[in-house]
Amino acid sequence: MVGLPYDFLTNPLGAVRQTFEKSVASSPTDVDPAAIFRGKDWGAVDLFHDFLFVKGGLAQVPSIDASSMRWLQPNTLVRFRGMVQDMLGNELYVGAFKDGSSWRTNKFSDFCPIQLPPACETQLWERQLFHCVPVPGQNSWVTETKSIPSTQNVSSSASQHEGKRGRGSEDEDMNLNEESDNGDLISSPNAKKQKEHENTCSSSCLSDDLMDHGNDSGLGSGDSNNPTCLVKIYDLPESHLKLNDVFEFIGIYTFDPVLAVHKDDSDDPMFELFEDPTVDLPPSKVPRLHCLICRKLDTQDFLSNSLVFESLSTVVRGIRESLLSHLTAILGNDELAAQYLLLHFLSRVRAQVEVMSVGKLSLNLTGFTKESASIFGHQLTGVIQKLLPFTQDITLTLDYLNTATLQPRRNNKTGRLVAGVLQLAQGTHLTINETCMQSGTLSSNGIENARLLKNLLELQKVEYDFEYYKLEMAADVQLLILSEAKSSILPADLVLPFSPGSVPATNATSEDLQAWRWYLATMRSLPCSIEPEMNLTLQDEMVASMQEDKSLGCAELNRWLTMTELISASFGEKNLSLEHWQMIKELERLRKDRLKEKAR
Amino acid sequence: MASSDFSPSGASSPDGRSSPIANTNSSPALGPAGRSSRRRRRTPSTTPSPSPGALLTPSATPSASGPPSSTPSSLRRRWTRRHPATPSTPMSADENLPPSSDAGDDDAVDHDDADSAPVFVWGTNISVQDVNAAILRFLRHFRDPREASRGNGLLDDGKYMRSVHRIMELEGGESLDIDAHDVFDYDPDLYTKMVRYPLEVLAIFDIVVMDLVARIDPLFEKHIQTRIYNLKSSVCMRNLNPSDIEKMVSVKGMIIRCSSVIPDVKEATFRCLVCGHYSDPILVDRDCKRLVGVRLNTVPPGRINEPTRCVRQECLAMNSMTLVHNRCRFADKQIIKLQETPDEIPEGGTPHTVSILMHDKLVDSGKPGDRVEITGIYRAMSVRVGQTQRTVKSTFKTYIDCLHIKKTDKSRLLLSDQMDCDNSTTNKTVEDENADYRDKIDKIKELSKLPDIYDRLTRSLAPNIWELDDVKRGLLCQLFGGNALKLDSGASFRGDINILLVGDPGTSKSQLLQYMHQLSPRGIYTSGRGSSAVGLTAYVSKDPETGETVLESGALVLSDRGICCIDEFDKMSENARSMLHEVMEQQTVSIAKAGIIASLNARTSVLACANPSESRYNPQLSVIDNIHLPPTLLSRFDLIYLILDKADEQTDRRLAKHMVALHFADPETQVQEFIDLPTLVAYISYARKHIHPQISDEAAEELTRRYVEMRKRGNAPGSRKKVITATARQIESLIRLGEALARMRFSEWVEVQDIAESFRLLEVALQQSATDHSTVMPTTNNVLVAKGTIDMDLIMTGISASERIRRENLVAAMRNLVMEKLQIGGHSARLVELLEEVNKQSSMEVHLNDVRTALATLATEGVVLLHGDSIKRI
Repeated sequence: MVGLPYDFLTNPLGAVRQTFEKSVASSPTDVDPAAIFRGKDWGAVDLFHDFLFVKGGLAQVPSIDASSMRWLQPNTLVRFRGMVQDMLGNELYVGAFKDGSSWRTNKFSDFCPIQLPPACETQLWERQLFHCVPVPGQNSWVTETKSIPSTQNVSSSASQHEGKRGRGSEDEDMNLNEESDNGDLISSPNAKKQKEHENTCSSSCLSDDLMDHGNDSGLGSGDSNNPTCLVKIYDLPESHLKLNDVFEFIGIYTFDPVLAVHKDDSDDPMFELFEDPTVDLPPSKVPRLHCLICRKLDTQDFLSNSLVFESLSTVVRGIRESLLSHLTAILGNDELAAQYLLLHFLSRVRAQVEVMSVGKLSLNLTGFTKESASIFGHQLTGVIQKLLPFTQDITLTLDYLNTATLQPRRNNKTGRLVAGVLQLAQGTHLTINETCMQSGTLSSNGIENARLLKNLLELQKVEYDFEYYKLEMAADVQLLILSEAKSSILPADLVLPFSPGSVPATNATSEDLQAWRWYLATMRSLPCSIEPEMNLTLQDEMVASMQEDKSLGCAELNRWLTMTELISASFGEKNLSLEHWQMIKELERLRKDRLKEKAR
Repeated sequence: MASSDFSPSGASSPDGRSSPIANTNSSPALGPAGRSSRRRRRTPSTTPSPSPGALLTPSATPSASGPPSSTPSSLRRRWTRRHPATPSTPMSADENLPPSSDAGDDDAVDHDDADSAPVFVWGTNISVQDVNAAILRFLRHFRDPREASRGNGLLDDGKYMRSVHRIMELEGGESLDIDAHDVFDYDPDLYTKMVRYPLEVLAIFDIVVMDLVARIDPLFEKHIQTRIYNLKSSVCMRNLNPSDIEKMVSVKGMIIRCSSVIPDVKEATFRCLVCGHYSDPILVDRDCKRLVGVRLNTVPPGRINEPTRCVRQECLAMNSMTLVHNRCRFADKQIIKLQETPDEIPEGGTPHTVSILMHDKLVDSGKPGDRVEITGIYRAMSVRVGQTQRTVKSTFKTYIDCLHIKKTDKSRLLLSDQMDCDNSTTNKTVEDENADYRDKIDKIKELSKLPDIYDRLTRSLAPNIWELDDVKRGLLCQLFGGNALKLDSGASFRGDINILLVGDPGTSKSQLLQYMHQLSPRGIYTSGRGSSAVGLTAYVSKDPETGETVLESGALVLSDRGICCIDEFDKMSENARSMLHEVMEQQTVSIAKAGIIASLNARTSVLACANPSESRYNPQLSVIDNIHLPPTLLSRFDLIYLILDKADEQTDRRLAKHMVALHFADPETQVQEFIDLPTLVAYISYARKHIHPQISDEAAEELTRRYVEMRKRGNAPGSRKKVITATARQIESLIRLGEALARMRFSEWVEVQDIAESFRLLEVALQQSATDHSTVMPTTNNVLVAKGTIDMDLIMTGISASERIRRENLVAAMRNLVMEKLQIGGHSARLVELLEEVNKQSSMEVHLNDVRTALATLATEGVVLLHGDSIKRI
């Protein structure tokens, strides 16, 4: 093993370029070497994959956030977690060019490393541009668990790494020089960072652009807004990333002060018209990330890795019980509501069949007044925020409906998708408090918004406005509605009159919370299947229920099945059982009783 | 020769016309007319060696700034550069050509090709002469196979020769549209070359065309551009990739933005402020914009190099030159943005856009919102960081140089029924018909020829809902609709079919409504609970008791020419319902506001569904009693369906099975022969738009015969009741249904079979709703009436004939009872007591309500006094 002439973390481009040159050299001479590698990887990504996931280098990769923006060095390896908010199309770039007699590559960077000779051979390659934002409604614990352990990890992994290095140094081929170099970096990452920071500072004194850069990011961190990120993706089929997907991107952070001045000051109208959607994403505010590796994230990926529970049924049941009792306490001893809430938390859209979306379970808790909504609603949203990674809540008022922009809309002037409130990542929880709704006239915007909300509830689809036509995007949003009486603006799957017996009480340790988060994230993603016998039994059961109660229809049966799936998932089981079906029937009976009681 | 793709040479077009493909060699033609000019024009093709040869020989060194990817453009540039600062050989070759001697010969080209040394397009093995000859052959000899089959052998000229003649006759001086399919059919090799090297081949095309023109009429001065359209394959916008650069592509999309028209300086003239000397026109070199490399030493792209000193020997003043605007020449230019249409966007993607550069004639030929197919050349230009910056970003911007724009279907297929043809006057390059659209229509037409189309359509409507086939047929009729008729007298008959679904909860009525809403153009879905029907504004109201919030929206006006789906019709307010009377018959909505009464069109079909008043249908009661709807309104529904939950175990099992499958089985197993939703929508809108069936004589006869028969049935001998089975309203309904059925088959005639089916549909619906349920059981006077008599009286007045008799009997019985039991001014009796008494006497159970009604009748007669539950005899 020969020491590497590059460092993955601080000089990833070195790795990219070296592997490229090596590959070009080893490719047959009769073909155009640069052409072979168009739209293909030449082994660089594998190298990084190996470094990040096999050798555990991932923990050392800093993630882009408001604070790290200040000291991140251009052309280093970074990572970013975010939601694909907009797709900006493809960009052509000079992927490879001939410098004298040898081919060089520009992949994963914005610039040519050297001034392009005027008459050199070039190859045009293409990459995809995505605008990614921190997931809307991301709760603070998500970033905490992400950043706290990661700083811990940096230091702890430093020692780990040193240990590894130590072992490595037993390896005789180990390049001593390299090792000390690395060791230096790793043993004192803070010092290094400090140094980098100073570097930035000193250079910023020289360059106004960098000053701007520093200031901007400083402002950004001021409102604790994490920066959005322009991610450039290479060689992936476009369908790999979908709008509103949550991804982690690991790649090369680039920033060039020259680009910061940017702005074509050419007075040629041509340039204004070929407008660039990235214009209002100045590099000083929106870092560029040239993605080497990306992976789609599930809710589980947002949990801290420190706690991993075994999926033993006893453990799961234990957590279920404790969560249920916690929810009951929050809901002022309304156990039925807690049961339903738990099922609601576990719901997700499993399939979209024609006009039906299977698996959703929206819940409408009724019986709130403005006052009780402020007490219980507040507690409830607090708990939801602590339990689920992405949550949003809306207080629905007439004014809100009339003025808010819920619909994501493409601004064709800038070519950008303007995010509406309803551009949400898959699996987001949305609480709508309807108790403050007054009577009044809706504007056309209000009607549109009401329609959007209703569609989201009923079909789990959000219409995106592209000015000349609208596109429906599938959504997966858990909707909880708090209202005085059954909401007909927002028809939920389930209506449950809420009847608290006491004031809400909260007591949860952080360990509890972690367990519950793990529980909800894991159980939610459990697959659900059905044995053939159970299939038949279930059908018999359904027929029997229908004979018993003539008013049962598609909607009820659909809901019951969904709930049965959810309740079996809540026990950590993957197969439906009759027992679960009976539990649901009992729950529904209780709910109906309560509805009747309320009606009286 | 012309300068660049953006700017043909100064000499080219006096009117400033240009195109992305400069009409290079034709330019001198527009100079002084006459033979000499013609000769010069012909030179490139006739004597290729000095001029194009110099440009195109393989030995020509690549331009300093032209990397391989931009080969064609650099070639083009070299071909065309005429910058004064860099007087290159190509230009001078053009200028200094010796007049060709063989100009007059029509076949010169062919001869010349043979004896001149082959000249190649740079970097390829494509011979310019070959291409030249191929194009000439194509233009001269291509004949439309369709015309040929018509046996029109008299035509000497090929299709495009005639086009050329026509253009010349019209003095249009426009463009020659060439169908790429024709090129392909005639010479696939030429087609391939054209698509691969459009800049070169199109330049040659122009030369050849101008050549032809010159031979026909040497005095013809306008210049004709070739515009290629209808390529064999069009690219999806998102699939444009670097390998398409500098190739001819065709993309479809929707225009979302147009820039204003930009005057583009083609030629600048300067004047010396000191001596007043005018400089020669200076061509603006815009071409370097799309160079890959940077030329720091040259003029920034799109800029004019202001001469630093006066060229006049006597003057030579420094920095004295100033631009003379009105001596400059400008050409039009416009940039439009094209966005992908929804059908090309994969799931979870956002539409891509691409910039299109339009020139001259093409400017303003498309408006935002138009769906177009663009044929053009895909190009890339480098992005400079700033003009003072030395660095060039390694990125490129891409755009398409438009050659041809074709409007595809003018409006969305599913949009309104009436289409105004306001586009008929637009540019000639804009084609109305589009192959894609035609394909779709053909497919739809083919579909309509299927013998089982009616059943197939029925099956495809809400395939997730079983049974209810007759209901679905009725709904189909509603979707297709009848013909609206307007008599000269001003009377009009609606063509819309209104349907009411009444049924038990959980019988998927709402789902049917949802489907219909999706299928119908401009469908509006609303809940009767909150429909203020008229209101143009929507209103949120809050129930003061329950705190329930309700959205009231003005649905009817919004669904003009669509279907207004009203769920929970029974919950609609009295006020709103009364408005429906007008809508359903007159098809207008009147609004009184601030003293002005406005009448708005509401040509809408109403599809309503209602729950029985007692939540479940009570077979003991009539439809009217089951749904609390005024009979006047009911009679305006053409079809009223009763959807009863028959409590059939078989159906339940099927439902259960389906539900389980929905949750657990893979959906592929369920795929059946359905017409998918978009096709269905297209089918319906096509039929509504293009098919206006009329009733055939036989069908009319059948209609009369059946109608008479139907009315007779009510007066069947032996029946004591006077039952009206059918009314004149029904005949209108029948006609509408018949028309709708004919439309489903795309038939212009309503046939006997349609009439038969419409009778069947009506009867099925009547059987369900108007069938007098009480007739199946013994009435008070123990007369058993034949099962299921159709009684229109039921719908018209809300009371069936037998019911009326029963009520009369009950009133009589009650009168007797009251006379018997109660004394005048004596004790009051309780209602329940009377009910017991009546039930004792009667053979059939009497309801409390009936008793109450009967007593009310007596009260109006002045026999009794009703006070709450107590009854007093007066």
